[in-house]
Amino acid sequence: MNAIFRFLGAAAALCAAGLCQAQTTLTVAAFPSVDKIVKSAIPAWKKLHPDVDIKVVAREFADHHNAMITSLATGTGLPDVMAVELGFLGRFAEARTLDDLNQPPYLAAQYHKRFVAFTIGQATNQAGELAALPTDIGPGTLFYRDDILKKAGLAEADLTRSWESYVEAGKKIKAATGAYLLANATDIQRIVIRTGLKEGEGVFFDKNNKVLVESPRFVRSFEMARAVREAKLDAKIGAWSNEWSEGFKRGTVATQMMGAWLGGHLQNWLAPGTRGLWRAANLPAGSYGSWGGTFYAIPKKGANKALAWEFIKFMTLNKDNQLAGFKAEDAFPALIEAQNDAFYDEPVPFFGGQKVRLLWRDAVPRIPALDVAKHDAVAEEVISTELDKVLDQNKDIATALADARALIERRSRR
Amino acid sequence: MTSLPHSHAAGALRLPTTQRRWGRPWQTWQAWKWAPYVFISPFFILFLVFGLFPLLFSMWLSFQSGSISAGLASLEFVGWENYAFALGDEWLWKSLYNTLWLGLVSGAPQHLVAIPLAAFIHTGFTRWRNLVLGAYFLPYITSTVAIALIFTTLLSTDFGVINQGLQQLARIPVLGAWLPQEPLNWMGRAETIKPAVAMVVFWRYVGFNTVLYLAAMQTIPKDLYEAATMDGATPLQQFRHITLPLLRPMMVMGVTLSVIGGLQLFEEPFILTGGRGGTNQSAMTTAMYMFRTAFEFNEWGTASAISWLLFLCIALLTWLTGRAFARGGMES
Amino acid sequence: MSLTRNPVAAMSRATAYATVAIGALLMLAPFYFMFVFATHSRSDIFSLPPPLWFGDALATNLRLLQDVVPLFWRNFGTSVYVALVATALSLFFCSLAGFAFAMYEFRFKRAAFAMVMATLLLPPFLGMIPTFMIMDAFGWLDRPIALYLPGAAGAFGIYLMRQYIASAIPRELVEAARMDGCGEFRIYWNIVLPLTTPALGTLGLISFIASWNSFLGPLVVMRSMEAYTLPLALRSMQSPVNTEWGAVMAGSALAVLPLLLLFMLSSRRLIAGLTAGAVKS
Repeated sequence: MNAIFRFLGAAAALCAAGLCQAQTTLTVAAFPSVDKIVKSAIPAWKKLHPDVDIKVVAREFADHHNAMITSLATGTGLPDVMAVELGFLGRFAEARTLDDLNQPPYLAAQYHKRFVAFTIGQATNQAGELAALPTDIGPGTLFYRDDILKKAGLAEADLTRSWESYVEAGKKIKAATGAYLLANATDIQRIVIRTGLKEGEGVFFDKNNKVLVESPRFVRSFEMARAVREAKLDAKIGAWSNEWSEGFKRGTVATQMMGAWLGGHLQNWLAPGTRGLWRAANLPAGSYGSWGGTFYAIPKKGANKALAWEFIKFMTLNKDNQLAGFKAEDAFPALIEAQNDAFYDEPVPFFGGQKVRLLWRDAVPRIPALDVAKHDAVAEEVISTELDKVLDQNKDIATALADARALIERRSRR
Repeated sequence: MTSLPHSHAAGALRLPTTQRRWGRPWQTWQAWKWAPYVFISPFFILFLVFGLFPLLFSMWLSFQSGSISAGLASLEFVGWENYAFALGDEWLWKSLYNTLWLGLVSGAPQHLVAIPLAAFIHTGFTRWRNLVLGAYFLPYITSTVAIALIFTTLLSTDFGVINQGLQQLARIPVLGAWLPQEPLNWMGRAETIKPAVAMVVFWRYVGFNTVLYLAAMQTIPKDLYEAATMDGATPLQQFRHITLPLLRPMMVMGVTLSVIGGLQLFEEPFILTGGRGGTNQSAMTTAMYMFRTAFEFNEWGTASAISWLLFLCIALLTWLTGRAFARGGMES
Repeated sequence: MSLTRNPVAAMSRATAYATVAIGALLMLAPFYFMFVFATHSRSDIFSLPPPLWFGDALATNLRLLQDVVPLFWRNFGTSVYVALVATALSLFFCSLAGFAFAMYEFRFKRAAFAMVMATLLLPPFLGMIPTFMIMDAFGWLDRPIALYLPGAAGAFGIYLMRQYIASAIPRELVEAARMDGCGEFRIYWNIVLPLTTPALGTLGLISFIASWNSFLGPLVVMRSMEAYTLPLALRSMQSPVNTEWGAVMAGSALAVLPLLLLFMLSSRRLIAGLTAGAVKS
């Protein structure tokens, strides 16, 4: 009897000492496939923090961000940790409703160097606050069909030397094989304007919010797009449509420029039958860019901030978790040390044994940081519409860009 | 006409009439006056609680400017600026044009087809009625994900069934000359996006309207038709002189709902164009533009102002619709 | 309607039947494909031409669905519950209000009806934030009541019922019942309601479908995945780049089955309304 009481007493004392704490729940809001990455990291987390449960709230990509907007607007219903995609990060960061991670108790400044350089800039708002930590990036790459290229008697360098040579190569490909060079002429326009930026320039606006759409790189981008369309080198299909997928399956589209993660999709479901026929190269004309990217943030009005910070560090600063995300969901690590692993040296059979991960890893440091401006989304839409008029209705390029400037100025004055 | 018809409801009135009539006449007399207010009160209570606040909020929001993710308290009052901006916005006028075009081209066929179709189902199909009606109603309940996927498949330029069908038809000697000889880039070119979207909207709602008209047709007594047949009227004549006039009230309602729904058209163009409105925004309706202004361009104040401007348009057009029908004859 | 012996009429009648039949098949096609796609792998679905007949990947897709949306059946149940309550409330409130607008004269009637109609004009997504604020204030976040209560007396339903009652039920019937000492509510419940079965069937069907397919409301109000309704759950597996299409189609196919069932049941009601006897004599 006494032994039992003593045992119970000891147990009670231990509990009082805090060794069997009550369970806390950390709410993480995410979208596919970030939610999968988080869920698969839970077992490792539980080993470190057995008393903290992770509750993942997954919503579709747009739904998630809309729900976050609603919550940030009203200050209620916020998760403890919020996953944010690059496209929405600018707006959330400028809104200043996310905690500045440079400040105590986070003191993230010590970690800046551990991440790929341009990602920190993407997450920093104009007031210099770091609104989120990066977890994955999408290094831009040019995927091409090696067999089609060879049939047209071309080499990879013909595609990548310059934009002009890219278009010329496209004409030869069309003549020799009938395949289109790329899915849509608008793709080439989008990339060209993101290259050759001067210091202090954003894509559409410069530091003084002057509209830059009549600059040479915009004119060139429109001219390239028109050249592609006039030579009938684009299939005029939208990305992620089943036509697009079919284009890959049948080899009617010879190249695609996108984030490195597309490789996994090509292999898994877009065109699994084309195994061994694809290669990856850097973007033409020495361009480097990034497609998307995911970040984790802590809302100012969130709860459990200490645990939230632990979780974010766990997902972003931990080499194993970063690599796991890469292996499972093609989430290219934003953590530099996670880019040092034997995994990158492996030849990838889908790409004919090419060591594509090395290619991408080497491209990453050369990706420029692009300044994000408040009215980027509007400017993007204006340019896209004007480009449609140029391609579809033969509108004059100079007029189109002048109209674009006027429209952007009107809208961005607000 | 004043005697009670032989409906089973009459049997429920087993009340000792003398007792009721002289017992509490004042209560019955009063009840006649206040009962309607009680009956419509659930609507108004719910509206006051759940409808009025969002209404007032959106009105308030239309006078504000700023980033909503920074919290509601951070917004600035800017008076009529959002409205002024919207009225001078070429995209808004473009979207209104798109909306009206789509509303008309998808809406008119809906009714022009639904009415004869309902009449035909009402009279012609007794055994297969549920099946046929069900088939026409299916589009209304099909998930938007499925619709997006399947229609992009059908409308594919190089591989889609529609283009392949048109190619085959274009080979026919005389008829083929009228048809396009090249495959149409349905979702790529500005001119063809609108008809494609209109077709999907028509496909989605024609069954819905058919069901409404069918329900209305069932209020028309059979004896009217029987009498007309005995007088030698053909089915077509009966349709024109009995069915159509008596369907008028439902027509008013159906057309009004189509006008309102058409002006608020959002879902179908949204899912077909991936939320962007298509080449040169040709399928971007005002509701979609409003959505993009709020969620893409982060201008919630302007979006609210646009919604109120749209409200005015809808109110105007609804009133015009009502007048157009009223002038034609029977009160609705 | 008797078939005339006129050959032209018979031909045009045959053409009419054929047209309606072809139309029905066209209406059916996308729906059919949804079920076909539910039995194929993602790679097959995303190819052209798409598969025309059923495949063998149904079990795989269902398993995928379970993996990606583990709470699928729970969300299904939530959707059923919300839709049933929403429909019951809608039938009751809308027929009551429709009856009032159709059968009574009272002050402010026109203004009140105009206000009812005005609520149809508001776009739903602008109400996201204020709705969220209200539900938060009531403490109704994550609770089904936030979904079925607000729209329970919808303007469309009131309009439909008013329209139907005004054309189907003669005022004299109501007057006579009133003179016989019937209370107002009993007039509604015992006399008018049984005679409006076709409209009730239609409204019930439409209300159920609207509630079942709505996702904006649940998106705003449901904060945790346990409380999701079906559309939200299905959407939560859709990514801009990495959707498991086979599983999504399987989920969509499952989601549409209750609607089909309901349609088959309610269309029988529509017929029953007819055979109960004509109203106008």
